[in-house]
Amino acid sequence: MITIDIRQPLARFTLEVSCSLEEPVTAVVGASGSGKTSLLEAIAGLRAATRGRIAIDGSVLLDSERGIALPPDQRRVGYVPQEIALFPHLRARDNVTFASRDPAHLAMLSEILELAPLLDRFPSALSGGERQRVALARALMAHPRLLLLDEPLAALDQPLRERILVYLRRIRDRERLPMIYVTHQPVEAMALANFCIVLRDGRVAGQGKPDDVLRDPRVAATTDVDNVFEVFDPQHDPTKGTTRVRTSDGVALVLPYDHVSAAVFPLVVRISGEEIVVFGRRPESVSSRNILEGPITDLRVHEGMADLTIAAPMPIRVRLTRSAAEDLGLAVGHRVWMALRSRSFRVIG
Amino acid sequence: MSEISLLVLSLKIAALSTIAIIIPALALAAWSWQRSGAWRALVDATAMLPLILPPTAVGFVLLMILGRRSTIGHMLERIGISVLFTPTAAVIAAAVMSFPLMFVMFRAAIDSTELRYFQIARTLGATPLRAFMRVTLPLAWRGLAAGVLLAYCRAIGEFGATAMIAGNIPGRTQTLALAIYQRVEAGREEDARTLVVYVVLLALTSLIASEVLISRQRKRTA
Repeated sequence: MITIDIRQPLARFTLEVSCSLEEPVTAVVGASGSGKTSLLEAIAGLRAATRGRIAIDGSVLLDSERGIALPPDQRRVGYVPQEIALFPHLRARDNVTFASRDPAHLAMLSEILELAPLLDRFPSALSGGERQRVALARALMAHPRLLLLDEPLAALDQPLRERILVYLRRIRDRERLPMIYVTHQPVEAMALANFCIVLRDGRVAGQGKPDDVLRDPRVAATTDVDNVFEVFDPQHDPTKGTTRVRTSDGVALVLPYDHVSAAVFPLVVRISGEEIVVFGRRPESVSSRNILEGPITDLRVHEGMADLTIAAPMPIRVRLTRSAAEDLGLAVGHRVWMALRSRSFRVIG
Repeated sequence: MSEISLLVLSLKIAALSTIAIIIPALALAAWSWQRSGAWRALVDATAMLPLILPPTAVGFVLLMILGRRSTIGHMLERIGISVLFTPTAAVIAAAVMSFPLMFVMFRAAIDSTELRYFQIARTLGATPLRAFMRVTLPLAWRGLAAGVLLAYCRAIGEFGATAMIAGNIPGRTQTLALAIYQRVEAGREEDARTLVVYVVLLALTSLIASEVLISRQRKRTA
């Protein structure tokens, strides 16, 4: 468990964060300038003015009342900053083995992160995604007790993001290392994290399960209507072109075989609420492979749009035009049916 | 005294003085890099002083420190070492006078490296010294080399403080700068001109080399 209770004076405001993190992956979400990076730097020991207390599993990194402030090299906290900061004068191999040369650990990380073809190159000869993998390996070789990741996907384009998320999920599952993951993309928080903190102007505006916190109207970290599911137990049927899976809530979904046949399960998939069709009655002949039903639990109207949450039973967000919502006579408590085209699902990782 | 041996003596004195200040200048620049506030301002200003003061004033202070009547001079004399008016004095004068330039150049070179690399090395378990030696120093090396070259040039050109504590003894403490002065004084302008050509060529080569190094340092850290 990681306990944080700190104050850190910044240019525009004072960062004041108090939380206990028990889940393997915590996402810190917030707009730029909300203090996310400063929080990571305070945990890593890179900010001298931090006051308060930080402890990992009872071992104290900072306790300003008792005059304890471990320097960064004694904290065993891995930090991959947003700009990655691979040492430009060292080859990828020397970057990775900066903290330790343990060949067994290097071999394992090389396998997880597919580093072998990169090791003899200088950072300037690596692409954004390759640098990210080398930086992850470099941090992990130091055997950290906690890994801090600052916007690891921000500089990457969409297909690459999905690949790096796969690597991060492997690290999460294989290294069993707690992570704090900073992002301004709620969908990443939902894909990777079990716990989420929303920062606003240096203060915790909300914390809890990502799916709940990020959509809490009081937190309003996101107004998007992405639906992110972790899916298991693939049953591939190449001749029909489908793969049947099950969500963590036990709901069966059908995904396009060609999109997921090579994927590693469990897999995180996303479907935008703008691509889901809603019916007031059970639809009869529809091409969509996924028909879900449930009652409307939340209906919010804004700027000509209506955002619904439907318990199917996992909450599914749908965005309709206001006129469509009015024509169907939708209201909280009404039972509706939804069509989720299998090809509208995106694989996140 | 032949011009070649004059040249060799000057280069030797400048080289020894430059080598002598590399470690202190680097240590001070590294110390100053990570600090701010009154202490840093005071230390930086003191290190820079010889650059601003008249060289004769620096020479006078050195004379006071190394002369027989001072504690240091007295102790040195008791163990049979006399510094004043020896080649060692010329090395000390050149070292003190070129120290500020080397310090400023080293500071700029270290400043031009991203602090981020140093910080990341620390999170990877490196002590401040190891992080500095393995990350900051290799990234700054071109700027550091430029600093060494410029300090070397400054040492070759050193005149005032050297004249005061090392004198102008041909074959012993007479450097190029002092020899030019002496030859002009004696009306040997032709001879002085040859020496000036030497000095200009030496300085020009070093300056060009250091410019190249500095521009590469900028490119590397950009």
